[in-house]
Amino acid sequence: MLSELIVKIAFWLHGSSAYKRVKGFFFDLLSNPDYPYKKYLDSLMIFLILTSVGILVYEVRNPVPEWMDFYDIYIVSLIFLIEYLLRFWVYSDVHKLIVKEYEQSRFLHKPFSIYVPMKRALQEKLQYITSPSAIIDLLAILPAYRPLRILRIFVLFRVFKLLRYTKSINQFVEVLATKRFELFTLLFLLVFIVLTAGIAIYVFEESENPSITTLFDAFYWALVTISTVGYGDISPVTHEGKAISMIIIVTGIAMISFVTSVIVSAFSEKLDELKENRMVEDINKNEAFIIICGYGQMTKMFLRQEVKMEEDYIILDKDPERVKQAVKDGYKAINEDASRHDVIAKFNIDYANITILCLTNSDVENIYIALNAKSLSKDIRVIARATDERMQKKFYLAGVDHILLPNEVSNMMMLTAIKQPVMYNGIHAILTGQNVAHMDEVHVFAHAKLIGKTLEEIDFKAFKILLIGIQRGIDGEFLFNPDKEMVVEENDILLMMGLKISIAYFKEKYARSYL
Amino acid sequence: MKKQAFLFGYGLKGRSLAKGLKEEQFRLKIIEADVLLQQKAIDEGYLDVKLMDVTQDSALERLEIDEESYIICVMEDEHLNVFLTLSLRSLFPNTTIVAISDSIYTTQKLNMAGATKVIDLYQVSANRIHNILRRPVATKLLDSFVSDACEISFREMTITEASPLDGKMIEDIDFAKEGVLLLGMIDVELSHKFIFITSGINHKLDAGDTIVCMGYNQDLDYFEKKMKLEYTL
Repeated sequence: MLSELIVKIAFWLHGSSAYKRVKGFFFDLLSNPDYPYKKYLDSLMIFLILTSVGILVYEVRNPVPEWMDFYDIYIVSLIFLIEYLLRFWVYSDVHKLIVKEYEQSRFLHKPFSIYVPMKRALQEKLQYITSPSAIIDLLAILPAYRPLRILRIFVLFRVFKLLRYTKSINQFVEVLATKRFELFTLLFLLVFIVLTAGIAIYVFEESENPSITTLFDAFYWALVTISTVGYGDISPVTHEGKAISMIIIVTGIAMISFVTSVIVSAFSEKLDELKENRMVEDINKNEAFIIICGYGQMTKMFLRQEVKMEEDYIILDKDPERVKQAVKDGYKAINEDASRHDVIAKFNIDYANITILCLTNSDVENIYIALNAKSLSKDIRVIARATDERMQKKFYLAGVDHILLPNEVSNMMMLTAIKQPVMYNGIHAILTGQNVAHMDEVHVFAHAKLIGKTLEEIDFKAFKILLIGIQRGIDGEFLFNPDKEMVVEENDILLMMGLKISIAYFKEKYARSYL
Repeated sequence: MKKQAFLFGYGLKGRSLAKGLKEEQFRLKIIEADVLLQQKAIDEGYLDVKLMDVTQDSALERLEIDEESYIICVMEDEHLNVFLTLSLRSLFPNTTIVAISDSIYTTQKLNMAGATKVIDLYQVSANRIHNILRRPVATKLLDSFVSDACEISFREMTITEASPLDGKMIEDIDFAKEGVLLLGMIDVELSHKFIFITSGINHKLDAGDTIVCMGYNQDLDYFEKKMKLEYTL
């Protein structure tokens, strides 16, 4: 009876898009680093943690006002508890397990038992509860229980919670984790030496040395000595004890230098990767950016064209030498293969407006990169370079939005140069966006002053601007030399030509929104 | 009379240029230094294909290139291309020589070698990417000018003495009403440079001036007839 009800609920949840949406929202908010609003939650959490620890320190010497105590116990802890429960909830989908098991048993005509999926679900949730970060979260909630004063010290676990919200500490731990084997070996060695040296000094000096009375004193002395800290509160008095000290001091120095070198090498090995990851994270914060694949002639030329790029960009190249060159030239470049799925997936494909330029000099590679990008998200705009027109069809099949044929473009210019030599200069000026013949587009956004005006009312001549045409909407029809009576609408794109300053002035005067 | 074009090189660039020039009704002569490429040109239907050592001045001289012709240097070998440009310039000082360059460094060298116009493959392509990114509408329009497929195009026209435009100020003429837009002009009185209308100076139109207009082809045709202009090519 109960199991039937559970199955019903599971199916209802399975079919509910609202439930999925809500859960997806909380998942993004808590765990998706690319989600634009996650940073607000992170900042709030960091604020709560810092204030809570601040109160702990303040409390040592000062009486805490009531509101502060209230804030610390109830508000902070309550928010932490909610967070903990939400994380517990979004960690796995219980209803999916039930639905799957139910359908499988129906398919196989075997009796359905609610316990099988419930056990799996429990295992999954247990997996979450026992994960280190969940344990820290839980311990960070505990200080709210006031009768046990000792729990106050768990406020410090709130500091550990910072790990979740700050990337650099996480990266530090990750780097150390790569040297797990070395570090564990050293730890084992350390424990071994401390134990033997401690037991030895205990045996030799327990009766002679008044400061060593228990085995704990002996271990404490051994650890203080081996770490080369040497407080000197306990020091050996017998010859045997001094001999042991000498030995563990020598091994201690060796061990510390070893640990240092392990950590340093771990970092130097990972440094490039860390830097590149940071670069990717930085670029992911933008709403729109450009990924340029390949650092060849074309890319150099492209980047040289504009003094400052409007959008943020990043260069990916397979060849480490070329990446080095790009970095030397002052560009943001990382050594990655853009044709790999995980490389493009690192970027914020769900929320950012990405344009990929495939500018390597191999058609095969450009097509592959384009396909790779399009397979991840149809919304990624791809502009690819192709060597000749026979390739064009393949590029379109791969879903490329714009194809660039360098030969065709230059041939076009060449033919114009021969056919219409005077106009060549004109087109060239327009194409290269030279000052005098700047052709620009003015987008009419909502609430712009232009909306509702006829073209006659807008005095283009006063701005020394030539209106060439209007495009209605982003993919709309292009109207050349439109009628004077035409009224400007929202989302129109006005194509005009003029001096750069004329157009800039026009934009300032008219295209800016009221808001 | 058809214009004569000498195309040096039948590589990747040369091939598509040859196609374009043929469509534009040029009398085309292809010169190659490589046997395989020469054979290819013949196979692809070009009649006037010559194999020669382009480093020999005497051979180049025999080509009888006059000042009205066009020389296009697109040899596959970059070094050879620069050398050829230099040789041709020294032999034919007044002929138009255009070349395509593969890098900024070559562009400079070709310019120094005396090419009338150098088209930098990477520069124009990089510009194009910028234009696609920043000015999609303008790019679409500009594209259509150069491909003959579109109805909208540019046209250079010379003002004749019989034209009603002769002696008028630009501001007094409503070009838009005629369906065309005036982009700029070449004033023979002032200089032979192209002046964009947007530079904001009010010019007086005289016979012999060249104006550049933009519009639908039929409107341009009509305008040309009405204003008694001469279509210059």
